[in-house]
Formats: sequence, C-alpha cells, structure tokens
Amino acid sequence: MTVVELEAVTKAYESKVAVKELSLKVEAGQMFGLLGPNGAGKTSTIRMMMGITIPDSGRIRLFDEPFERKALERVGYLPEERGLYKKMKVVDQLVFFGRLHGLEADEARKRAKAWAERMEIADALDKKTEELSKGMQQKIQFIASLLHDPGLIVMDEPFSGLDPVNAVLVEKTLLELKAGGKAIIFSTHRMDQVEKLCDSICLVDNGRAVLAGRMREIKAAYERNRVVVEFEGSAEFLKSEEIAEAKNFSGHAEIRLKEHGNAQKLLQEASAAATIYRFELVEPSLEEIFIQTVGGKGNA
Amino acid sequence: MHNIALIAKREYLEQVKSRAFKATTIGLPAVFAVLVLVGYLTTLGLGSQKHLVVAAGDGKLANSIRGRLMADDDGKTVVDVVAPAKAEDRARLVEQVRTKDLDGLLWVETQTSGLPKATYYSPSSGDFITGARLREALNSGLIEEHLTGAGMKQPDADAVMKGTRVETFEVKKDGRVVKSNAFASFWKGYVMAILLSMTTLIYGMNVARSIIQEKTSRIFEVMLAIAKPEDMLAGKLIGVAAVGLTQILIWLLAGVAIFVSPFAAALLTGNLAVQFSWTEGILFPVYFLLGYLLYSSLFAGLAATCETEQELQMYMPLAAAPTWLSFAMILLIMNDSNSIWSVAASLFPPTAPIVMFLRMASQIPPLWQIGLSIGLMILSIWATLWFSSRLFRVGILMYGKRATLGEILRWARYS
Repeated sequence: MTVVELEAVTKAYESKVAVKELSLKVEAGQMFGLLGPNGAGKTSTIRMMMGITIPDSGRIRLFDEPFERKALERVGYLPEERGLYKKMKVVDQLVFFGRLHGLEADEARKRAKAWAERMEIADALDKKTEELSKGMQQKIQFIASLLHDPGLIVMDEPFSGLDPVNAVLVEKTLLELKAGGKAIIFSTHRMDQVEKLCDSICLVDNGRAVLAGRMREIKAAYERNRVVVEFEGSAEFLKSEEIAEAKNFSGHAEIRLKEHGNAQKLLQEASAAATIYRFELVEPSLEEIFIQTVGGKGNA
Repeated sequence: MHNIALIAKREYLEQVKSRAFKATTIGLPAVFAVLVLVGYLTTLGLGSQKHLVVAAGDGKLANSIRGRLMADDDGKTVVDVVAPAKAEDRARLVEQVRTKDLDGLLWVETQTSGLPKATYYSPSSGDFITGARLREALNSGLIEEHLTGAGMKQPDADAVMKGTRVETFEVKKDGRVVKSNAFASFWKGYVMAILLSMTTLIYGMNVARSIIQEKTSRIFEVMLAIAKPEDMLAGKLIGVAAVGLTQILIWLLAGVAIFVSPFAAALLTGNLAVQFSWTEGILFPVYFLLGYLLYSSLFAGLAATCETEQELQMYMPLAAAPTWLSFAMILLIMNDSNSIWSVAASLFPPTAPIVMFLRMASQIPPLWQIGLSIGLMILSIWATLWFSSRLFRVGILMYGKRATLGEILRWARYS
C-alpha cells in the first residue's frame, strides 16, 4: 500500500519558493530518507505532509486517500524542534498525546508503560519532564510519536541528542517497526544512518528533488571510482597518474580515481612499490553522492 | 470538540496546580480577611485612650464642649475641664502636653466682644482628626450658648443642635423600596470593578504568556500535527477561562464566609451596609467571561507574533488604556449613571465590563442596555478571534524575531 504520496507539490513563502513540484512515494514497510542541505525544503515538505501547512499546488495522499486531517491520527510525528510540556509528568504527557490521537486514557496509560520499559525509561514516568536529561526527553518524544501505533512515522533528526547506546536502541526500534509494516520517513544529516537504514531516498535541493529512488539503484548508478588500499612499504604509488585524490593514513589509503582511471593499472603500480594487504574498489558513500549532487553546500 | 476539550483540560489542570494559582487564590481572600479583621479590631476599641483637657474662662461653655466630645466618642477619650482657667494654668497644661501627660489641650479665651478665641495644643502636628472634633464641639457649644442666651429653652436648644438625619432609599423597578447608601454603593461598585479588571487582565495575560512559553519550547510543532490551530486556541482560551472562573468561585465562597462572619457583620452594619442583587451576582461572571475572552483572544494573537514576554509588554497599553479610561470616568458615572457618556462607555466593548459594574453600583441599567453591551461584546470577541486566529496560525511557526506591523497585517489576510 502506498502510505504517503506527494504529486508535484509546491509551497512558496513571501520571499522564496520552499518546495517546487516535489513528488515522492513511500510504501508500507519502507524506510525512506528525506535528505538535503539546510534550507533545502525538507521541513516544509514534512509540514505539508502533516497538514501543518497547506501546499499552494499539487496533491498529497495519505494511506491511499486524498489528504484529510482524520488520517493524521494514524501518523506519528517527531519534529526537528522538540517540544514537551515541561511542568507535566511524563506519564500524563504521554497519555495526553495518546488521547489526542484517539486512544482511551487507560489504553494510552498501558501503552505508555510498555513503551517506557521498551525504551528503558520506566523510572522516568512519574517525573516532570523538566527533571529529565535532553536524551531522556528525546526518548519521551519518540514514544509520544509512536504510542498510538501509527501506520506512518515521520521523524525529523530522530537521533539528535542521543548518546551512541540510545541511538542504537532507537535504530533497533525503527527497524522493528519497519519489519512490522510501518512506513517510516526520516530526515537527517547523518548520512551513515540513512545509508544503513533506508531503502529509498529523496535528495532535495532548493525545493526540488535532485536525486530520488531506491538506495541500491542510486549507488549502483554512480561509478565505482574509490579505492581503499592497505599496504606496507613505499607510498610512491599514490602519485600515480590514475589517481585524482588520495589520503594516506599510515598504511591505509583512500583514493579517488580520475575519470576513466584504471584500477588494474593502479594495483600493478602499488604491488610494485609496496606489500598490499587489501585493495578494494568500493562504491561511493551516500555522503559523497550527497556532496557531489548538491555541490558541497550541505552540512553533512 | 474532543481535541478542544483535551487541550482545555490540560491547560486547566496545569494552571490550577501551579504555585501562582495557589498563591493568588489563597493570598487574596487572606488579604481581605486581614483587612476585615483589622477593621473589626479597631471597632472593638483596641486603640489607645486619649486624655484631653478643655480649659476656658466660661465653665458652661467648657462643660458643653466636654459633653459633646464624650457623646460622639466611642468611650476612648477622657475629657477633663479646667474652668474658670487662669493664665498660670495655661503654662502648666502646655507643659503637660509637652511631657505627653496630656494628649491635647483646648484653650478657650473669652473675648470682651465677639467670639471667643480658641487654641489647640497637641504633641503631634498630624492629629487633625481630634482637632476637627474639637472644632465641631466648640462651634456647636457656642451656637447652643447663643441660642440659650437668646432665650431658647435648654431642651429645645439640645434638640436643634442634635440636628436631623436624612435617610436614603432606593425605589427599585419592581416597586420595592430598599434602604440605600451611596457611600457603600460606591465602594461596592469600585471593588467589583477592580476585581473584574484584575481577573480579566491577569487571565488574558496568562493566555498570552502560555502561548509564548509554548512557542519558545517548540511544543506547537508537535501539537499542530495532531490538532488544528483553531482547536488549540479555543482549548487554551476555554481552559484558562475555567481557571479564572474557579478562582472567582473560590473567592466568592471565601467572601461569603468572611462576610457572614461576626467580624464582618460588626464592620458592615450601618453606614457600610452593602446590598448585592442577583443581577450583579449573575452578571459578574458573565462580564468576566466576555472581558476575558476579548482581551485574551487579542493577546493570544499578538503573543503568537512575539518571541519573548518582554516583546509582548509593548502591547500592554492596548489592555491597560481601556481600564484607565473606565476608572477615570468613575466620578462621572457615579454622579449620573445614565448620562450619555456613561451609557456610551458601558456599550463600548473594551470599557463595557468595568463601566457597566460602576453603573450598576448606583442603579441597575435598563435591560436593553445590558443586552446591547453583551451583544456588542460578543460581536467584538468574534471579530478579535477572527483576527487573532490568523495571527496565531502563522505566528506560532515563525521563529527568530518579533513580527512587524506590516507582517501582522499580511498574516491576517492569509486565508
């Protein structure tokens, strides 16, 4: 089932066009990365999906139906700008958000406890939000967006503020939700996480989709022009004519070949100069694709 | 409706659990209770006793003054008479005033022609109340002396000097004639108008403050993905209104408890007898709600355009000016509650709640005027809400700086 679909959506503000004729489609059970440099139009796109702002033109469909606010009860949203009621007890806060999404109070309370245990913050339930650390608050917000078992989960920078242990916990939870058939859209600057988690991406720049599709297909479309070499001996081969750029980290070199550079020739030159333990022709990372596509404007 | 109710309930519970609510709810009746208690204690005569001396060459006049001072006093003043007083008595008595053995000395010198010359000696220059009482007693004594001197019999002279009282009654619309008191009515209207303006402004500002806090904490982004901005605004206004009504109800109950107590009963008899009508009882919460909705809806929209509470302060005169205007008109309204200015101010929505209550203090205005003022207020609330909800919808997602007037007007035009 197509959970969310944008068709030629455009949104302009007074001084600029934030999103221009953007189209994308996310299926159930899919993890979708919405990427782009700062100010590219990601948040504007998400806000339109969430009914916070209305597109000037184009169509938005949720759960295979034209957009209706009622459908938002089936959407979980973690915005980039976190917000919780500081004076409220965590459990009351979760019940409040659950009820706004249509849950009964008892059911919301039961789910809040179950989720708090799953996210390892059961002790925090009876505390006021202002008493918790930033990371804990982040997990509360994460739970608040999932309590009502949404079919579509939209997360803007879900890992910000989390330490590595909790980031892994959130990552694991997202993968479980995906396996459970949920459609997940997340917007982030962390390319490593997108690369690891997402099936499909849409790279937005200046409000337009500049790169979109399945992750594997996108990466396959880029030439394998990166070589990783582990060696011992002379590093003279790094001056080869086949190389456009090379970084040498004491026996570990990361090389970008020239356009039409010959990897086999480089291997021969390297073998002649040093003992080679590893010579691997690797596909470009998403970060490289990102920088290459948006011309190094991003913060990624 | 479901979301509005949930948001209103959350807002209500958060505010009634706050320290500020508890402090003002308990603090204000406590201050009133202390005032009533202090008033009661003064009526018990717990003040210090005064010792005065009236010295005169004319013993009859001196005794007449003493009689009047004792008659109008509450038993706290001891008055001695020195008569016929000689010149050496004056120096001795003044010395007693200096050493504070006496609280005051009234020295009356009979002149060969005309009125006697009176001098009052006191250890404090600020004792004007005793001075005024002495002046009145002396003048009354002199008039009485002249009356009896002219041949009037003592009982007749006493009766004339006692004077007569004018009792005031108010004829109600239903024909009932009830005892009235302009002084008490004035204070009743004044206190009710102050309470009304205070609660309206406090709760109107509460809404604004809460919007700025939520905008700063970025909670709106989360809320907007679930609830419509109009629902959020409505929930907030209803929740805070319920907090205000709860506080008024608590104050009302506390007020009733205080005013039916023996302390207040002793204080509020005679000149301070206050009468409350059902109309006032019903219209007070009605005007509170209308005034609150008018100001809070305006401030909700303006708060959404601000980043900090300091920025919001800039708009304060919008709320304060009608209140100042209402209270500036107080004498005009109390003098003639049906003058064209009084009626106009009680129909003009920003001043209507306070002015209507000031008018009600002297006379319940015609029903059509009350109805029209309520109708006009509802219309202006509707118009303010229309304007504010537009500012609110755009403003809560705008971060970084306070909106300019041009931006505010542009936002209001967005559909």
